[in-house]
Amino acid sequence: MKILLKSAEIIDKNSPYHFQKKNIIIVDGKIEKIGDFDETADIVLESPDLKVSPGWFDLRASIKDPGSEHKEDIHSATKAAASGGFTGMVCMPNTKPVLQTKDLVEYISNRSANKITSVYPVAAVTIDNKGEEITEMIDLHKAGAIAFSDGNKPIWHSDVLLKTLQYLQSFDGLLLVHAEDKYVSMYGQMNEGLTSTLLGLKGLPKLAEEIIVERDLRILRYTGGKIHFSHVSSPRSFELIKEAKAEGLNVTCDITAYNLALDDTLLASFDTNLKVNPPLRSKEDVDAFWSYLKNGIIDAIVSDHNPQDEESKNLEFDLAEFGMIGLESVFSIVNTIKRDIPLETLLDKIAYAPRRILGISQPVIKEGELAEITIFDSEREWEFTKDDIKSKSKNTPFVGWKFKGKPLAVINKGMYFINN
Amino acid sequence: MQHLSVKHLLGIKDLTREDINLILDTAGNFKEVINRPIKKVPSLRDITIANIFFENSTRTRLSFELAEKRLSADVINFSSSSSSVKKGETLLDTVNNILAMKVDMIVMRHSSVGSPHYLSKHIKAKIVNAGDGTHEHPTQALLDAFTIKEKFGHVEGKKVCIFGDILHSRVALSNIFALQKLGAEVMVCGPITLLPKYIKDLNVKVELDLKKALEWCDVANVLRIQLERQTIKYFPSLREYSLYYGINKSLLDSLNKEIMIMHPGPINRGVELSSDVADSHHSVILNQVENGVAVRMAVLYLLAGATE
Repeated sequence: MKILLKSAEIIDKNSPYHFQKKNIIIVDGKIEKIGDFDETADIVLESPDLKVSPGWFDLRASIKDPGSEHKEDIHSATKAAASGGFTGMVCMPNTKPVLQTKDLVEYISNRSANKITSVYPVAAVTIDNKGEEITEMIDLHKAGAIAFSDGNKPIWHSDVLLKTLQYLQSFDGLLLVHAEDKYVSMYGQMNEGLTSTLLGLKGLPKLAEEIIVERDLRILRYTGGKIHFSHVSSPRSFELIKEAKAEGLNVTCDITAYNLALDDTLLASFDTNLKVNPPLRSKEDVDAFWSYLKNGIIDAIVSDHNPQDEESKNLEFDLAEFGMIGLESVFSIVNTIKRDIPLETLLDKIAYAPRRILGISQPVIKEGELAEITIFDSEREWEFTKDDIKSKSKNTPFVGWKFKGKPLAVINKGMYFINN
Repeated sequence: MQHLSVKHLLGIKDLTREDINLILDTAGNFKEVINRPIKKVPSLRDITIANIFFENSTRTRLSFELAEKRLSADVINFSSSSSSVKKGETLLDTVNNILAMKVDMIVMRHSSVGSPHYLSKHIKAKIVNAGDGTHEHPTQALLDAFTIKEKFGHVEGKKVCIFGDILHSRVALSNIFALQKLGAEVMVCGPITLLPKYIKDLNVKVELDLKKALEWCDVANVLRIQLERQTIKYFPSLREYSLYYGINKSLLDSLNKEIMIMHPGPINRGVELSSDVADSHHSVILNQVENGVAVRMAVLYLLAGATE
């Protein structure tokens, strides 16, 4: 199969063609030719603002397989990912059973082997994510676990966290942390603030996150090792991470696309698609997030893809599950509202940084390389509809949004996927 | 006929000052009606109203039912103490089953915040919120405003302090919205763990000292301590609560003025109010109950007249 990308601007700081507009020929998944030639192919991709970058990578997604395959499985999740421009993604261990054994890690690897989007399993740190006994992390690592996490739980016990950070150092392993003191946030439904007060909904205070970030950084300072804070949602947490980085601690963090786009005043509609954890924060917080993105404290942007079926969402607000899907829309959301962030920075957050954090090599756009690329139009205006959702679940508040910028296709592992 | 600006009564938050005044004025007329020898008017003849209560309630349900009967509506009642979901049926299915029997209006109490708002997006019937979790209880706030207005002639400029568990109280929130829309000054007083952290952002005064709060206000609206809604401990004991936040006669006598005592009921006698206060001339608690029927008649009457 021969694919031609016609007059595509290459955005890849590792490529000799960075910022150049070229024709690119890909034959059977391999970048064969880059230049100004005139040539035809089986498939020709063209668009007014056609761009190509190394394939995007999502650093936080829940696949729900095994356990809740009616909400999402590996097949539908990778399809959603490809549609959103991702050639790589992690899957979080909060499955049923919890991703904590070698066979489950291999299940994910085997099931996704022939999918266009590579899936990197993140295994549990503690058995059943209970925060009590640590899993066989060396063995899980050898089996292919890319990092370790207790999913949507912090590691409750300070000493278990301490031992985990020490133990992970035997193979330079990475801990992904969901920072939330669940006692402080118990029964919380949305961000604590003026809106939660007006709505009579119990709050999820930012304090619950900050306490854990602060504690974990203290322990990291003691043990060494490395922590990545996932879906951080408090300016104070970013400030703590900023100080830790300045001090030289091995710490990174990410934010969800939805936290950059939406604020908690929208909850007045009681739309359960807006019920997420971390919750939508205040308008002032959203402004602060953009400044932390701009000054580089925030390393990556994630989908935090969390599929929930109709039965889990079309309910009274407090009974509805947390979460929204996001794989299909991350880039378009952020590109639409990107304020004064350059496209190149944005691509760093969704392509380079996630691989850097996980220690995965960066694909490069040059002749002779196996193509792992995302092809997109950064200026195309389009409306996000239910038909654009490839996930089994449809829980997103972005349906109906007018987006700017659209992923058009991905090529990876010799396969291609083209959005219609 | 004057109309409300809303199709449903989901909360006081959605009402304009004009809406509230219209309801209170209409309630005034109905109060006169229910004090006649023949208490019934034909206003809602042929209208069927379902009272759906997913939480225990005695006075609110009876008050609504009486209001509906005084207006000649046909009434059906459904109550279930547990959430319908636990029985395997969703709220929407339960309500749609009731509506399939050709019901025009729904009066609903539910433990989930926003449940009437959720329903309003999925069904055609008109909805009156009879209390949604810790959010709003609009007819309670309207009858409270009616009672204040009845006593003082107006609500504007009055100082009203709400005492007790503000954090879990739909009565408090609806009262704050209604009183502020009518121009009253509002304070809240209680143990700090029972006051929402951001309550000041609603332009509400906060006072932790019971005596100082009583000295400030013209009206004390004392809330029931909702032990049943507290899964987390917010204060150590009822004993300590009644000692430091209970209102008794000697405390009221020590003030150099008369204040009006309100309570949405049911009273925990000896906890938030002593009996010699609840039964004293300060108390308008039974007037509130009487006014409740008139106010609910007004709400149902005005909503029934509202066009799509």
